[in-house]
Amino acid sequence: MTRVVEVPAQFDDRSFDQFARAFAGGDGGRLLFDAHAAQWASPFGLVGLLSAGQAVTEAGGERPLLTLPQDRDVAHYWARAGFVQHAEGLFEIHGRAPRAPAHGESDVLLEVTPVKGADDVHEVVGHIQDRAAAILTRELGLEAAATMGFGMALSEACQNIVEHAGTGGWVAVQTYTWRRRLGRRVVVIAVSDAGVGFRRSLEATQARRFGDRWGDAAALEAALIQGVSRFRDPGRGQGLAGIRRYLSRWAGKLAVRSGTARWTMVPPWDDDVPLANQLPFFPGTQLLMIVPAQGE
Amino acid sequence: MRAMAWIDLKDVLGRTVSGVYGDLVTRRTGHAVRCGIEQLLDGGESELAVIDFGTVRLMDHSCADEIIGKLLLQQGQVRYFLLTGLDPSHEEAIAPVLERHGLAVVARDRAGRVKVLGALPESARRAFRVLADDGPALPDEVAAKLALSPAVARAALETLRECRVVREQEGHYQALRNA
Repeated sequence: MTRVVEVPAQFDDRSFDQFARAFAGGDGGRLLFDAHAAQWASPFGLVGLLSAGQAVTEAGGERPLLTLPQDRDVAHYWARAGFVQHAEGLFEIHGRAPRAPAHGESDVLLEVTPVKGADDVHEVVGHIQDRAAAILTRELGLEAAATMGFGMALSEACQNIVEHAGTGGWVAVQTYTWRRRLGRRVVVIAVSDAGVGFRRSLEATQARRFGDRWGDAAALEAALIQGVSRFRDPGRGQGLAGIRRYLSRWAGKLAVRSGTARWTMVPPWDDDVPLANQLPFFPGTQLLMIVPAQGE
Repeated sequence: MRAMAWIDLKDVLGRTVSGVYGDLVTRRTGHAVRCGIEQLLDGGESELAVIDFGTVRLMDHSCADEIIGKLLLQQGQVRYFLLTGLDPSHEEAIAPVLERHGLAVVARDRAGRVKVLGALPESARRAFRVLADDGPALPDEVAAKLALSPAVARAALETLRECRVVREQEGHYQALRNA
């Protein structure tokens, strides 16, 4: 029996819970991720979809199916963003997979890229500093110091996978214009893994302290507000705090989803909630960073 | 000051991790670079270690903790440390690490300006500024320049001395700045 997991037509952080609900629901059977009606996907949607495929594969499930967007332009865009190349390793793809051109979209600062170890983090940061610093300055009005901070935040977000997930993950960086939501350009970093998530990562050291409150939301609170880490080393736990400081300075947004909870640092231009609990379960951790253009 | 070790971070990065990378990111890299620095320092009797950031493009918090935080924790009472060639992004990565561990260090930026980074009370920062700008001074002289009581000025200078960012010789306090 095949169970269909519908990919939202507009697949981003706002529709992700709908996707997670479809993914979590139902028992057994081979999964078919149906993206044929997809019209658009943000980097967050694309790396999340890969994590879903990875979670199925790593759980020993049958290789899931994936139908690519029917719209030729959308499918090509997914290819140019680097999604299709990696999806071929996780899904049995239905429909003709478009090939990506040698040079991707100019607004794709970093194609979907796997992150497994420290070398991958070096590659990702090096790539962004070489290729994207000028774009961040020109299009988003970020000062040179802010582009360095961007690289630091990206590095720490990717290291969260390396240090805590217990498996590999994915990162993608893109700029685009949010006409309706914000009315200006933004740069978006999306990082996702299908690993153990914050609750399991911190359980051994933090669960007793929180008692009955312990769960995905409490684990996010411990990591993001209290700066705790699963390591006893007192120097640990500074990476996420550094991301928060950077995004606060540039009126950016940080959202971290893990298991059934999502913690958000909500900027003035956004109407998200600071903490969402009892969401549909999704494996691992998904991290979203948004930096809006400055001075507009 | 007896002997000085000059440590080019990019050079240590190239020798311990890879010559391809230009950025100091990840804990693994930080650990390797710190071990490389420790090897260099273990071979000599240098009282001052100058760590040169001039050729480093980017450093993240994790790497700053592994290199600067742990180096100061482990060797900060054995020798003096001075960071040089820092740009603002390096300071942003290092300052929270020092705050978290209750450490301080002297830093010289790429324009040659000297400042103290880390967890220090305001009176100590101001006292350091006086020593860095005007040279060695007695506690009473620092007290007069900052309009502080002699006891407060002396306490500020002792805090700086204990953090190993100034030295005291025959009653005069001197900012660590020479390299």
